[in-house]
Amino acid sequence: MKIILEKEAFDIETYIKNGGYMALKKAIAMNPDNIIEEVKKSNLRGRGGAGFPTGLKWSFIPKNVKDKYLVCNSDESEPGTFKDREIINKNPHMLIEGMIIAGYAIGANQGYIYIRGEFIKEARILEKAIIEANKKNLLGDKILNSNFNFKIRLVRGAGAYICGEETALLESILGKRGHPRLKPPFPAIKGLYDKPTVINNVETLATIPYIVINGGEKYSKIGVGKSAGTKLFSVSGPVKKPGVYEIELGMPFKDFFENYLGNMKEGENLKAVIVGGSSVPVLTADEAMSVNLDYESLQKAGTMLGSGGMIIIPERQCMVEALYILARFYHHESCGQCAPCREGTGWIEKQLKKILAGNAKSKDIDDAYEIANNMMGKTICPLADALAMPVMSFITKFRNEFESHIEGKCKLCQR
Amino acid sequence: MPKIIIDEIEIEAKEGETVLQAAERYGIYIPRYCYHPALSIAGNCRMCLVEIEKMPKLQTACSTLAQEGMKINTKSEKVKKARQDALEFLLLNHPLDCPICDQAGECYLQDYYMDYGLYKSRVKLEDKNRKEKRLDFGQYLILDRERCILCTRCVRFCEEITKTGELFVSNRGDHSFIDIKPGDKINNNYSLNIADICPVGAFTSKDFRFKQRAWFLKEKKSICLGCATGCKIKAHYNENKIYRIMPDPNIETNTWLCDYGRMLYKISDSRERLRYCVVDSNKMDIRSGLLKIFDRLNSQLTSDKDKILVFLSSNLSIEDNLALFYFARTVIETENIVIDDLKEQKIEDGILLNTDKTPNSKFIYQLKNKYKLKTISEIKKEDFNFIIGYDSEIKKYFPKNDGINFSFLESDTRASLFPIKTYFEQKGSFINYQGYLRETEKIIDNDFSIELWSAINKLANYFSKYMPFNQIDDFEKIISKEGYKNK
Repeated sequence: MKIILEKEAFDIETYIKNGGYMALKKAIAMNPDNIIEEVKKSNLRGRGGAGFPTGLKWSFIPKNVKDKYLVCNSDESEPGTFKDREIINKNPHMLIEGMIIAGYAIGANQGYIYIRGEFIKEARILEKAIIEANKKNLLGDKILNSNFNFKIRLVRGAGAYICGEETALLESILGKRGHPRLKPPFPAIKGLYDKPTVINNVETLATIPYIVINGGEKYSKIGVGKSAGTKLFSVSGPVKKPGVYEIELGMPFKDFFENYLGNMKEGENLKAVIVGGSSVPVLTADEAMSVNLDYESLQKAGTMLGSGGMIIIPERQCMVEALYILARFYHHESCGQCAPCREGTGWIEKQLKKILAGNAKSKDIDDAYEIANNMMGKTICPLADALAMPVMSFITKFRNEFESHIEGKCKLCQR
Repeated sequence: MPKIIIDEIEIEAKEGETVLQAAERYGIYIPRYCYHPALSIAGNCRMCLVEIEKMPKLQTACSTLAQEGMKINTKSEKVKKARQDALEFLLLNHPLDCPICDQAGECYLQDYYMDYGLYKSRVKLEDKNRKEKRLDFGQYLILDRERCILCTRCVRFCEEITKTGELFVSNRGDHSFIDIKPGDKINNNYSLNIADICPVGAFTSKDFRFKQRAWFLKEKKSICLGCATGCKIKAHYNENKIYRIMPDPNIETNTWLCDYGRMLYKISDSRERLRYCVVDSNKMDIRSGLLKIFDRLNSQLTSDKDKILVFLSSNLSIEDNLALFYFARTVIETENIVIDDLKEQKIEDGILLNTDKTPNSKFIYQLKNKYKLKTISEIKKEDFNFIIGYDSEIKKYFPKNDGINFSFLESDTRASLFPIKTYFEQKGSFINYQGYLRETEKIIDNDFSIELWSAINKLANYFSKYMPFNQIDDFEKIISKEGYKNK
């Protein structure tokens, strides 16, 4: 079942022809509280990675405050994740419609789309879509002759991974350094310009029109249990058909792997899978084959659904090298605000470099694990955890490869 | 008033108070680097992590508001481990150059390492990140980026207190460093506070660098006499020499101290310091000077008593002014007592510095109102040529005069000059612009100068008159009897 990628509509005419902006018409006739109620009923959870219930997030916004903001987080920069780009490329108006409805529901009159700096083409698409929607009176003042005003501003990032963290994103919109804020206060109370703010992922917002049209209950029946609805997975690695797939949550990984991805390429064997973007714990091939792709099953298997950026790792890949590349990324992207992350990410990179070069002792592997453990849960934002989790899972599950590096016998990399 | 339990002690926190503040009020110290009571919360050092019941992760005590029913543990094994880990991260790229670091002895990295660290370093020196050292950051400041732990106290100070915003963090991750715009310098009047609040040896004071090890310094509390604000200070001294002045933070007047006030200690051994007595252009010791001036005053009293003017000064302490006042009344028996023109008293820079640059105007005005004294503009200056008082005011209105001038510094006044002790060298009471009566403390001493009141007392004795004071403690009774009380 597909919701978001069902019908592709690059421009507004096609989108309207396919039934677009019907949800908005319906929504504007509704009481905002009822929309929030429907979203709550739908069990829709944030698709950016954390999986926080969207309806609940919206209901935290105080009613009696005048200025409120809606921010769409389109700073998709997690290694392995490229699903939001697909939505913007194929269905930009679905996002815009979702945003207008969300703005109406929480009582915001100004929306922001914070788009990753490298998404130049996508920024142009969104720019065009906003102009189109403005012309059709779907954005702007008195939308569809109602009393509701809503405007969207497109803000382009400058290339920092940390600006995908919601409070760093807010700082970045304000033109400041992208440093995550201390929480509490959460953005729902003190967000953009210190006003109540909802920050949602592109995929989350693009799901809203479907929920409004079909009702929350229908959506909640898609998927399994608390993991309702469909989810986009962006798959990279040596499978036959990598790409972006929209599947119902709860599908066994084995089915997805065999039926959608078409198994590994000729001559490749599956070694490991990172299910939800580079920052979640890795699964071995055996573990992966026995999990279902939904929030609960993956949590039980010791990993997370995350953003749905699935990385398939083949047998020929040296895991130490893979982890080193990840560590280098997180070291480079650490904002440097709080000590464990600032110093820890660099330290882990140095340790892995040492192990990779064969200059390490067995104790250095233990040290790398312990450094990661010491970083976990001690920082302002989850960037430290995002490195700590892969480090700990890589070392636990593929310790033999680390050891063989120390003995100088790694057959996988030419070093 | 939320009730919380910290380490099994029940505490009543104030509304809006954080866990760290509430704990501190009850004597439970939680270690911190980035937290400073006068600055905004940054929460970046991760040193103040505490365990709070029902919360899965450790929380920063500096940013967590105390809420009804919280059960907090600041001493559990988990907390101790977290502090050790935080410290290990902070010290990871630290150069460990304590032997040549000025902060050694008063460095929080050293202190907390002894409390929570005590691990063996896992990083070799050659693997550490190197950054720039000895950077000139302004009139009084040197920055060492390697020692910096990026707590951003300095950045927040410049943004929130002086509102000059010179500093910021450049670059990202473990390459970040404290930076300033090219060509810019921190030349605001409060720059040395940055060296004070820096918890490590990153910002050090040019004035204090390499002069004295922190553990040799002794401390005495006193007040700053740079202006009418009368900030409370701590003087750090050793072997009869003051090395630096630091603020003594208090609720009433000051958390900080301005650079101008800090540098005033230099007067006590400055080159311009008056180290001898001058009478009729002859240098002499104080005793012979007093005898000689006694003769002069005696003859003036008999010949033309009306030409004598006693000039009180808001630069002098209550004691010294009272001595001059009683001397005028009982020895000279004159009503010709004046004060300088009234000065407006208000904070001119929004922080501490007062428009009135003298420390004791409030007292002088009280005296003026009580005894209906005249100001200098209300008298005819030509009527007087024998002036007794503090040199800098006399110089301003009577450039050529006879009389008795008391001075801290060398002066071109032609009349007699007596070297008096500064208020680092003697006790003195002052009333600041808010009406607080505060005392300076005798911190150092020298043998070339004399207390003004003591000189006056000796002169009175030559006239066989007796003043109501013989030692500094006698003034206490007079001050309270006359009603110059604390606000």
